[in-house]
Amino acid sequence: MAHQFPVGFDMPVHDRSRISLAVLLCGALYICNCLAGSESTGSVATGADPRTLLADFRRPAAMPVTKSNPTTPEKVALGQMLFFDPRLSGSGVISCATCHNPALGWTDALPKGLGHMGGRLGRHTPTILDVAYGEPFFWDGRAATLEDQAKGPLTSAAEMNMPAEQAVKRILSIPGYVTAFEYAFPGKAVSVDTIAAAIASYERTVVSNSAPFDKWVAGDEGAISTAAKRGFALFNGKANCAVCHSGWRMTDDGFHDIGISGSDRGRAAIAPGIVQLEYAFKTPTLRNVNQRAPYMHDGSLTTLSAVIDHYDTGFVSRPSLDTQMHRLSLAPEDKADLLAFLDTLTSVDSPAVVPQLPQ
Amino acid sequence: MNRASLLCLVTAVMLAGAVRAAAPITVTQKGLQFSVEDLNVSKGQVVVFVNDDRTAHNITVTGEGVNLNGGLQQPGAEFKVPFVKPGTYQVSCGIHPKMKLSVTVK
Repeated sequence: MAHQFPVGFDMPVHDRSRISLAVLLCGALYICNCLAGSESTGSVATGADPRTLLADFRRPAAMPVTKSNPTTPEKVALGQMLFFDPRLSGSGVISCATCHNPALGWTDALPKGLGHMGGRLGRHTPTILDVAYGEPFFWDGRAATLEDQAKGPLTSAAEMNMPAEQAVKRILSIPGYVTAFEYAFPGKAVSVDTIAAAIASYERTVVSNSAPFDKWVAGDEGAISTAAKRGFALFNGKANCAVCHSGWRMTDDGFHDIGISGSDRGRAAIAPGIVQLEYAFKTPTLRNVNQRAPYMHDGSLTTLSAVIDHYDTGFVSRPSLDTQMHRLSLAPEDKADLLAFLDTLTSVDSPAVVPQLPQ
Repeated sequence: MNRASLLCLVTAVMLAGAVRAAAPITVTQKGLQFSVEDLNVSKGQVVVFVNDDRTAHNITVTGEGVNLNGGLQQPGAEFKVPFVKPGTYQVSCGIHPKMKLSVTVK
């Protein structure tokens, strides 16, 4: 017996109790909510030394392993070629790298991406930097895996406009690719699944290097400025950034309405019935963030200063606004310190190699 | 049977079930993770989810034809889920879908 409860986050407690009893009497799983606690505060917010939080931002020692698609050198090499190959698009002129340009922080420096025949897309192009560590994908999280994500733009009529069958035909028409697929996927036929698996394998190698902030986390006191250290304290305290921009990539991989005006429902279109997911979008990483203007899911803010101003006073209040959003009353020097901190998150990364494409 | 008697009977059945069920199990949500990835419980056992993070969470339970959304769970709040039907369930957070937990009920 199926029970579907499109229960909103703001459902009154008495309604929850009624539904719980109904489900119990049906002999199925029931649920009851005990709102017992009160909001906790971080140690920085209470005035503790922000250095006590550094462990929460330490880079992991090892890459995550993708059991369903283990990374191999052959897959990475193939995926690298596919990523940069415009022949994988219906028009023959768009590759993954057209929007995820390594010279532009693996995005495109545009407010919103350009797709098939120059059509304007609905959202800002997210970076692929450090995607090996996060899930789900897209601003609205509609792809659970990087492999699923890779299929999206490829086959979307608005983006690369390359239907799966057509993509396979085009690959099979290029002998160099046929050989590369045999090496990468022995015994498997070329398919949109193996195309996506190879692209995802390459994308997982796009990892940021150690930044000045990481050196400070590791104990090098001189790695970042005093202003940046104050910025880190603000980031975790008064400015409340770390409540979502948490961990070494500075993202909780979660979805929040941060009050950007507009009609794009974001995550709510994927997970309807949850008030707090209306206008909610995935928290982006802040690694190398000063190389990726413009900002936000709609590319509406052109500088990091504008982003800080948005969080300070510029957001739209509405029922779905994340409960952590509130006016910050940041002083100009606070904003300068936050910017100094954000600058420490940028690493000097190895230049991306554009491969020779197979013929 | 009048309405009051029926209510007493239903309550008695519920209490009897509660007495037979094993003690509640606590699972914490901290660091954007559940404290366990897999959980085995007995039929009727209650799992108490405790939000030890600074951010709000949500408990979503799917599986065995069930699709339940528990609403917003503020920092510090508990959320109790009695698993009364045998099977395998997936528990996740609607806000942070990377948080996952598998619950097997026997």
